[in-house]
Amino acid sequence: MRPDFYVLSWSDLLVSLFFIAFSLFLIKKWKLGLENTLLIGSLRTFVQLTLMGYVLTWFFDQQHWAFMLMLLLIMILIASYEGTRRQKNSIPHFFPAMLVALLSSAIIILGTILLFILDVEPWYSPYAAIPIGGMIIGNGLNSTALTANRFVGELKHREKEIETLLALGATPKLAVFDAMKTSIHAALIPNINAMMTVGLVQLPGVMTGQILAGIDPIIAVRYQIMIMYMWFTTATMANMIMLAIVYRQYFTSKMQLRRELLREKA
Amino acid sequence: MLFQFKDVHLQVDDLNILQGLNFEIVRGEFVAVIGASGAGKSSLLRMFNALTSPSQGDITFRGVNIDTDIQALRKNVGVLFQNPVVFNGTVRENLLIAGRWDQNISQTLDHEILAALDQVGLVDIKLTHHARDLSGGEQQRLALARTLLNHPQVILLDEPTSNLDPKLAREIMDQIDKLREALQLTIIAVSHDHMLMRRYAQRVIILSHGKIIGDGDFETLDKSHAFEDAGLLKNEVKNAT
Repeated sequence: MRPDFYVLSWSDLLVSLFFIAFSLFLIKKWKLGLENTLLIGSLRTFVQLTLMGYVLTWFFDQQHWAFMLMLLLIMILIASYEGTRRQKNSIPHFFPAMLVALLSSAIIILGTILLFILDVEPWYSPYAAIPIGGMIIGNGLNSTALTANRFVGELKHREKEIETLLALGATPKLAVFDAMKTSIHAALIPNINAMMTVGLVQLPGVMTGQILAGIDPIIAVRYQIMIMYMWFTTATMANMIMLAIVYRQYFTSKMQLRRELLREKA
Repeated sequence: MLFQFKDVHLQVDDLNILQGLNFEIVRGEFVAVIGASGAGKSSLLRMFNALTSPSQGDITFRGVNIDTDIQALRKNVGVLFQNPVVFNGTVRENLLIAGRWDQNISQTLDHEILAALDQVGLVDIKLTHHARDLSGGEQQRLALARTLLNHPQVILLDEPTSNLDPKLAREIMDQIDKLREALQLTIIAVSHDHMLMRRYAQRVIILSHGKIIGDGDFETLDKSHAFEDAGLLKNEVKNAT
């Protein structure tokens, strides 16, 4: 018989500390010197997620569209800042590029899901908008941050190629088009691979969580399929929008490659 | 008059790369720009097709400011870099790369492509051959043929033969000089190899620390101190003649 759901109590959670204790034992045995780091990490996981639980509970009690929009905007601002911070290269105007890319993806994809797929009533219901919005923004952040790094690497690698194309009369967009394609390609391959193997090798976290919380696996699977499609579209859209803004930063108004930007930070 | 430089300066950060350049270039000239390493030769060459812009001063091409139509300028002013860029693909794909944005190039017929290859001395090359398998000299010729398909009036040479052996370098320069005559091209070549340039150029601009310290024919400048002042040995120059 299928249980309604498994309740994880605080005392149950304490038992899971066994995992940390076991890891500590192994780390010590191998003299990896990671004991303190692991202890701090475990403590932070506990404190941060517990706090987040209470914060989310409060968020879920708020039923106002302005509150939801504000919250999503704050999430996007934080993600854009984090994406900018993660860059190895200082890309000019990267923060606004991330902001536009994440905002556009969130509006289009989250809007479609809330209004046309899940038919959420009201559309700003925090139970749907917060977790799905978070997934879209988080996935967009990870993908665009990687793509931007790769793109700058491609520009450095292809500097002569780009100048040759410019010298033959190409516009900046055409001169960097191969670099953009390679960067987006590299970003999308992990998403496609995940779509190829999902369910065969591992059960995705969201689905596992839903099943453990007592949701019918068939329903959980439907959610997961929607999430996989959503992830891929977010990555594609956010990367294209971000690159369409970023590549322009590497050219002057006279269609010249700003080579000085490629010399910064090896 | 093809190019006119008026009080052209180039400053990068706090460095004065080029200072107060004034000169003109007329159609059909073969001009060599020579100077020691770091004299500003390559920076100057990049200004002819607006890959670099001056910090101060004006450059005109056929009487019009060089920035007026940059894409048209770059089709008119081709460039051959020191290390030619050969794209991943066949000889044909490399030659027609500008067809991505220029319909005239994408519609180039095979016999026109073969004629361009013939002009640069690449006669036994299949269009389906992988371009990156070509030798250094062949790749340089391929890059030249690719430039020629744009029907330029000017070709800029940025030390195009410095990575080739002297015999091959001379062969390629001979080919370029023939093209200049046949197609009435203007050639502006940057080189540290003034011995090689002496064979082809009618005019030499000598750069030293970003300034022009000599502009004229080789014979006249031989009588001045310009070559020595630019850090180039006069004996070396004379021996080459």
